[in-house]
Amino acid sequence: MNLFAQALAWLGDGTHWQGSSGIPTRVLQHLGITLLTLVIAAAIAWPAGVLVGHTRRGSGMIGAITGGARAIPTLGLLTLFGLWLGIGLSAPVLALVVLAIPSLLAGAYAGIENIDATIPQAAKAIGMTPAQVIRSVELPLALPVIIGGLRSATLQVVATATLAAYTSDTGLGRYLFAGLKTRDYPQMLGGALLVVVLTLVLELVLASCQRLATNRVAHPERNLP
Amino acid sequence: MIQFEQVSKVYARGSVAVEDFTLVVPSHRTVVLVGSSGSGKTTLMRMVNRMVDPTSGRVLIDDVDVREGDPVKLRRRIGYVLQQGGLLPHRTVVDNIATVPVLNGTSRRQAHHDALGLLERVGLSSEVAKRYPAQLSGGQQQRVGVARALASDPNILLMDEPFGAVDPIVRRDLQDELLRLQADLGKTILFVTHDIDEAFRLGDEVVVLRERGQIAQQGTPEQILAHPADDFVRHFIGADRSERSLTTTRVDGRLVVVDGQGRPVGVMRDGA
Repeated sequence: MNLFAQALAWLGDGTHWQGSSGIPTRVLQHLGITLLTLVIAAAIAWPAGVLVGHTRRGSGMIGAITGGARAIPTLGLLTLFGLWLGIGLSAPVLALVVLAIPSLLAGAYAGIENIDATIPQAAKAIGMTPAQVIRSVELPLALPVIIGGLRSATLQVVATATLAAYTSDTGLGRYLFAGLKTRDYPQMLGGALLVVVLTLVLELVLASCQRLATNRVAHPERNLP
Repeated sequence: MIQFEQVSKVYARGSVAVEDFTLVVPSHRTVVLVGSSGSGKTTLMRMVNRMVDPTSGRVLIDDVDVREGDPVKLRRRIGYVLQQGGLLPHRTVVDNIATVPVLNGTSRRQAHHDALGLLERVGLSSEVAKRYPAQLSGGQQQRVGVARALASDPNILLMDEPFGAVDPIVRRDLQDELLRLQADLGKTILFVTHDIDEAFRLGDEVVVLRERGQIAQQGTPEQILAHPADDFVRHFIGADRSERSLTTTRVDGRLVVVDGQGRPVGVMRDGA
């Protein structure tokens, strides 16, 4: 039996779908870490990106941050945070936040910056406050690009969240680390397949969100005959 | 009434957009600022709704310095029509028109109802109400822009080259529409254009600008045509263009008006 079939057999084994280290629990943990990471990263990156896009100032800084942060190896960062914060979830979540920020920041900033400048200018000139310009003009028009940023951040985080198992007993990464340690390669491959499937599902969901944002919010005119 | 008192605008890098400009725009009149690019005309207009603040000097509306109040409130009581309409692309026509009334606290239902009336006022059928700006022609978009500017019933209308991006025939229609509206409404209109024919057609008073907001000549279209102040104005208004230098010639007892190239352009009416 080749490895792939063994991995499928491992996945099909009912005992792997039960209990506190069963697949459903691991998937939920994995999703939980991904979600937690994205919420924290978005809370930092989105306001900053929107502000830079809105004022159209500081785009050089955004370029430096996104370029620099993308060059950081997440495993190295995780090791560093692990040494500093110890065993647990804090280190991987922190490392994943650093991983997620560039895409989210770039999406928010580019989405707003790319709007024809005369549109927010006109909105201001007829009497919208800066907050109203952001809320009812810039965010709706930038939404597809913002979701695009979320999409690539999610992709990176959900795939890299396997590293959470490096310092804690969490997520689908457990199957990879445990399999590696015991040379249980079917388990490793099964775990990897689960990550792939999860990633694809999230990708599909976010792609349809992006399409919805384009057709309903940013360019509703494309829906009409 | 809008007053400019010795306003200047110097940008951070030292470029001077406007230098020592003084003008009174009387209530219920249309004053047109006309000049080429670099004349500072748009900068001057944007000082009225505080999209630009002057470096020195004051702008007054009904004797109150515009810098005394909240700029957002100021902008909501001034109608503003921009080139290309400046409409919000993701909102329907009726939502665009209702924008300012809704911001001012009018209920959405009431604002939409009023917007339909305004559509009719600017010569559009209510069929376009639910469309989006990109689905309208350039001329229709400009009409919606005018309707939006009128929605909060402002005393002042600022019009920044509003008909610059449409073809000449549509532009003429829009100008006629504006003249008709103004005859009804009697707003105080400050209009900016680089098109001298448009200025003469629409303005009760026309202000010809050189660079940096220097007034080359100010007066009614008739005064400026009759007595251009200098060569700059003469050149700018095309005083030497064949269609501006008309002569008459008598044909079978009637006076025929002929342009500079000898082409007949019309007949003087009896008694004229």
